Amino acid sequence: MSDVAGPSTPSRKRSRWDTEEDTTPQVDKPVPKRRTKSKVTTSAGTYTPERTATPPVRSQSVAGRLRPSHSRHVPPRTEHPPFMPSRSVYCYERLNSIEEGSYGVVFRARDKETGDIVALKKLKLDEEKHGFPITALREINSLMVCKHENVVGIREVVVGDTLTQVFIVMDFIEHDLKTLLSVMPSPFLQSEVKTLMLQLLSAVAHCHERWILHRDLKTSNLLMNNRGTIKVADFGLARRYGDPVGVGGLTQLVVTLWYRAPEILLGATTYSTAIDMWSVGCIFAELLLNEPLFQAKGEIEMISMIFKLLGPPTSQTWPDFLNLPLAKTITLPAPQPSQLRQKFPYVTSAGLDLLSRLLAYDPETRISAEEALKHPYFTESPLPKHPDLFGSFPSAAAGEKRRKPDSPSAPARAADYKLLTEFD
Amino acid sequence: MSTALYPLASLVQIEKTPSREDGIPEELELDLRAHGCKLIHEAGILLKQKQVAVATAQILFQRFWYVTSMKQFGIGDIGMGALYLASKLEECPIRMRDLINVYDELLRRDAHRLKYSTGPSSSSAHEFKYIPMSYFGSTFYDLKDALVVAEMQILKRLGFNVNVVLPYGTLVNYLRLLGLTEREDVPSKAWGYLNDALQTPVYALYAVPTIVSAAIMLATRQLGIALPSSPESCWWELFDADWEDVWSVAGYIMRLYRERTPEDHARVLSMVTKKGVRSWLEDQKPAVLLP
Ligand SMILES: Nc1ncnc2c1ncn2[C@@H]1O[C@H](COP(=O)(O)OP(=O)(O)OP(=O)(O)O)[C@@H](O)[C@H]1O
Ligand SMILES: [Mg+2]
Repeated sequence: MSDVAGPSTPSRKRSRWDTEEDTTPQVDKPVPKRRTKSKVTTSAGTYTPERTATPPVRSQSVAGRLRPSHSRHVPPRTEHPPFMPSRSVYCYERLNSIEEGSYGVVFRARDKETGDIVALKKLKLDEEKHGFPITALREINSLMVCKHENVVGIREVVVGDTLTQVFIVMDFIEHDLKTLLSVMPSPFLQSEVKTLMLQLLSAVAHCHERWILHRDLKTSNLLMNNRGTIKVADFGLARRYGDPVGVGGLTQLVVTLWYRAPEILLGATTYSTAIDMWSVGCIFAELLLNEPLFQAKGEIEMISMIFKLLGPPTSQTWPDFLNLPLAKTITLPAPQPSQLRQKFPYVTSAGLDLLSRLLAYDPETRISAEEALKHPYFTESPLPKHPDLFGSFPSAAAGEKRRKPDSPSAPARAADYKLLTEFD
Repeated sequence: MSTALYPLASLVQIEKTPSREDGIPEELELDLRAHGCKLIHEAGILLKQKQVAVATAQILFQRFWYVTSMKQFGIGDIGMGALYLASKLEECPIRMRDLINVYDELLRRDAHRLKYSTGPSSSSAHEFKYIPMSYFGSTFYDLKDALVVAEMQILKRLGFNVNVVLPYGTLVNYLRLLGLTEREDVPSKAWGYLNDALQTPVYALYAVPTIVSAAIMLATRQLGIALPSSPESCWWELFDADWEDVWSVAGYIMRLYRERTPEDHARVLSMVTKKGVRSWLEDQKPAVLLP
């Protein structure tokens, strides 16, 4: 590869890949160096388990010089990946930082070998009290287990100079839905909303089938490429469900407030897949309204906004309500019917039915992703638009300025954005 | 169902393990792997840890030795790191301090056994008594350091792909399909073989259906139960298992039950740390030259 003379070469002389933000002193970890000199080498090359910056040997052709594939030790299991040590982050050329999230920094980078543009998310590993953080493990594992057309693709996990530098390498996806919505002059068409919802639901169904809760579904965590395909991202709060939980139960510190299900707001510690479905409902509403459904400033306001829109819960709509830890601390307003129809005057009755099933109070009866995919809303006219016809997305947003001109990532992303609108 | 595929050793990785490349004979490597897994198992019991976490740890441990030599990291340290990591993966994390205490006890017991294993009286005269270490002493911090490094090395050397699929659900399905759930002895025997197999590398080498088939094969043979094995309807083909692979897995398992001499035991006990491995390898060198 002849990437040597690239414009970023000088900065790569620095010892650390992401040198700007990392000023913490390094903990000296014995990283063992393997001495290979004394090793007996065989003619056909040696297998060296320690690599520094060279990519792993992925070739399958080595079998030729080995025993026939059915010997005692060599089963034909070609479809399983081999054990591949993490490559070095120096396999990537850093382009620019995209965004500093609450949990890590995301960089845009180029694979030096293939030229692919990727996104690198640096994990925060400062606190080492409990070894490698369980949250980071969950994020990596969830991404690996939930591979799907509508889940952001994880390529590998690479490491930096020290054991405290770990990066998730993902496919780079051009937009996030939140920004896209904020620059669109008019809301999505019904046919487009259906396509986006089907994609979102199939990703969520896929995760739930694999026993993974996302726990932070919101428009800013939904990425979208130029071909009208949504990718669910940010599994930073994801975890497996179905395991017996400890004495404290599951944490309530999940899901961004505006997308948080009522059972979490009321202190439930044994929630499940239904919490993601509530978030999906909020996203559905946001796509229809072109703005977030519940823009509350605090939990109390959030609860009262929900009650106002859907009417306060009753023993019919939520039998378990009074058993929730915080239910008794709340005085229910006077009974009042749901205002959903008034809020969404233009959606069809099938659409409204789906929305009300996603925003059902009782988590037990709230619709599942699997069921929602079969909802009549998706088979009535107008039918979902084929993603290939979504070329209008970028151009729909073309006239507007980006909302965050001062964010460090905005210029680069805006440039990308312009580039692709010019192509359309 | 298209679950993400768990990794298995490649042909190259199987042919030449890093430990063998460093001069550790295959049989010895297998014994050391088995001993490391026994330590994980014992630590799991002492910590009252869930069986799924212990099994996951043993599988990660086995995978690790396809990318790393025992000359570089000790089986004790890596076992400890694997159990720590697997406990997080299985959503039942354990306290670092508890794990370190348990491993310290097990390693000192091993050292004690080694000391008296070759002596004249290896019996009750020298019973092992564990004296808990001080949290302020260097042992604790050394072990803690080793634990953090081991966990990170496992992750790094396995490329953070720590997806593990356990065989128990599959076993239940297969036994049902074969109509073997009526008798209690078949499931429990097969279950036992699956657990014993955790002390061997098979979970890093073969897909779960093959391993489960081997466990069923061993259990039914032991109990004298015949299963359809004529060329046109072989029961293992039902599960996409290759007979040679099934046979190979069974071989790995049966190998565990072979008699070991006191010297074999002592040798393994002396090689729990990388220091022990290195000094054993040093000792081998002149031995080759001498008549
Ligand atoms: N694969 C990707 N391609 C392009 N941009 C990405 C990618 N992954 C993340 N980003 C960008 O980086 C931002 C932060 O990423 P992510 O949400 O995963 O991190 P986070 O630290 O958990 O963020 P937050 O806590 O703010 O939600 C995203 O909102 C998105 O703009
Ligand atoms: Mg995010």
